[in-house]
Amino acid sequence: MTSETSSNPLDPIKIGVLYSGSGVTSAVELTQLRATVLAVEELNRAGGVLGREIELVCLDPQCQPRHYASLAEQLILEHRVRVIIGCYMSSTRKAVIPIVERHNALLFYATPYEGFEYSRNVIYTGAAPNQNTLPLAGFMLTNFGSRVCMIGSDYVCPYESNRVMSDLILERGGEKVDETYLALDAPWESYLDAAKRIKQLAPDFIFSTVVGEGIAHLYRAFASVGLDPYRMPIASHMTCEADVAIMGSAVCEGHITSATYFQSLDTIANRAAVARYRARFGDELTTNMCWEAAYFQMYLLADAIRRVGSDDPTLLQRVLPGLEFDAPQGRVRIDEHNNHTYLHPLIGRVNAHGRFDIIGRAPDRVKADPYVVSHTTPPWTADVNPDLLRSRGDR
Amino acid sequence: MKRSAQTPAILRGLRTLKVVVIHPQDQDGDELLAQLQRIGCDVEVFWPRLDCLPTGTELIVMAVRPETLSLSYPWLDHPACPPVIPVVAYENPTTIETVLQLNAFATIPSPVRSAGLLTAIALALHQSKASRLRERYIERLEQKQAKVRVIQQAKQIMMDSRGVSEEEAYQLLRSQAMLRREQIEAVAGEIVKAHERLSF
Repeated sequence: MTSETSSNPLDPIKIGVLYSGSGVTSAVELTQLRATVLAVEELNRAGGVLGREIELVCLDPQCQPRHYASLAEQLILEHRVRVIIGCYMSSTRKAVIPIVERHNALLFYATPYEGFEYSRNVIYTGAAPNQNTLPLAGFMLTNFGSRVCMIGSDYVCPYESNRVMSDLILERGGEKVDETYLALDAPWESYLDAAKRIKQLAPDFIFSTVVGEGIAHLYRAFASVGLDPYRMPIASHMTCEADVAIMGSAVCEGHITSATYFQSLDTIANRAAVARYRARFGDELTTNMCWEAAYFQMYLLADAIRRVGSDDPTLLQRVLPGLEFDAPQGRVRIDEHNNHTYLHPLIGRVNAHGRFDIIGRAPDRVKADPYVVSHTTPPWTADVNPDLLRSRGDR
Repeated sequence: MKRSAQTPAILRGLRTLKVVVIHPQDQDGDELLAQLQRIGCDVEVFWPRLDCLPTGTELIVMAVRPETLSLSYPWLDHPACPPVIPVVAYENPTTIETVLQLNAFATIPSPVRSAGLLTAIALALHQSKASRLRERYIERLEQKQAKVRVIQQAKQIMMDSRGVSEEEAYQLLRSQAMLRREQIEAVAGEIVKAHERLSF
């Protein structure tokens, strides 16, 4: 297969892409798709890789795990692809892993997930829980208190995030006031009921692990029952600029997200990448953590292909661990031992313009620790944030 | 199935878990060691012999191969031997018999993959603890059973020899025990023994 794909030195290098154009999580997946396209176009404009163009083969799995599996196999067998970019929910990644392992292909996964996984055939460029849930838990428990309501989508990633949060709440003598899971396609009324109940319970904050279309329902329900985000915010590690764009800043202002990237990040690399993105796809578009991971992972992949002179996964697996890149969030690095990525944790709060003000940041990039069970919150989240007190007092 | 309020202690303790690996340094060995390190356990590797188990060992991961079948690991027979997870390359009766002898609660198939090890560790730790608790419980039950039996025998002897009721026999035993500051089953035991002496 390798000889076939690399027989002609002028043939393009084909890379498979599995992001959904429709379905519950397609809004964010489409930003990942566009980030991938942007990076590839930039690489190709700069002469491609090994003098060859990168050609994306994009298939649409429509947020259905079984489609991810069959399309992954189709990419490998029919399109002769050795590297696949994509997957969003854990169920979709778990569906693709057996396929890439069987065919010794490589999956680049650019979404935060719940950890407890390592495959030599996967490169994980989104955050592990110690890079997003832990900073968020530390920040919220310090600044808002430890009576917490949890609301999440009914699947594995939220269970795992809530387990981590529950342990940390109990360690601090706090209280898990309520834990609710809603189906991925739950209607608006379910979120409204949850918001009413939460208002009654009056927790210190709400920990949300809702993903996809439910995010907009949750924040709108929260606003419609008259809760004040500056006093009792929703804290999430999934809600991002793409969701804010759907809901509008009026509904989101004051809510808090933990991520390893925000569009508002003031780095040279980020300003330039965002400008190119808008020039290419439209001024109204926003970027987000999943967009950024999808963007920088393509550069890491291109660098690896350049170093080994091939897209053969066996060769790529040798050079990817340890590889670094100046991503929009800062310098990232693929860990030598676990295939996850060193990232820069941030805490952001939505402002009146629908952007995230950065109100907390890790002093250094943080190594991903996908197998840590017993967590401790990072020291930089231990101090009360004076800006938060001020903004609460003002109101 | 219900989730517990807090993460189980066995999983919370993984970062300090002391694991001994008895495995050659080959692809399986490398994969095993790398995954144990990702999980964050405290790992020591030996091959092929290990005459004395390092103190504080909480779990053993061990290659079961034709070349290890003839080796003896003396600590395996010790009642306090920590749980063993065999790494099984051959699924033939000889190898499986060895796995059975190791009293394993979980196995790792060869070729070793990263997925599966964490569950095997949790299973082995949990089940071996549960099994030890069960053994201790059975032991206590057996002791209790023996006591009940000897008291019953003593009562019967007294009922026969003194013509008292079962309740009166018991009260007699009890007052004797209190008088002599002994356990009731000790008094009962002496009566049974004395009776056996007399009835030859």
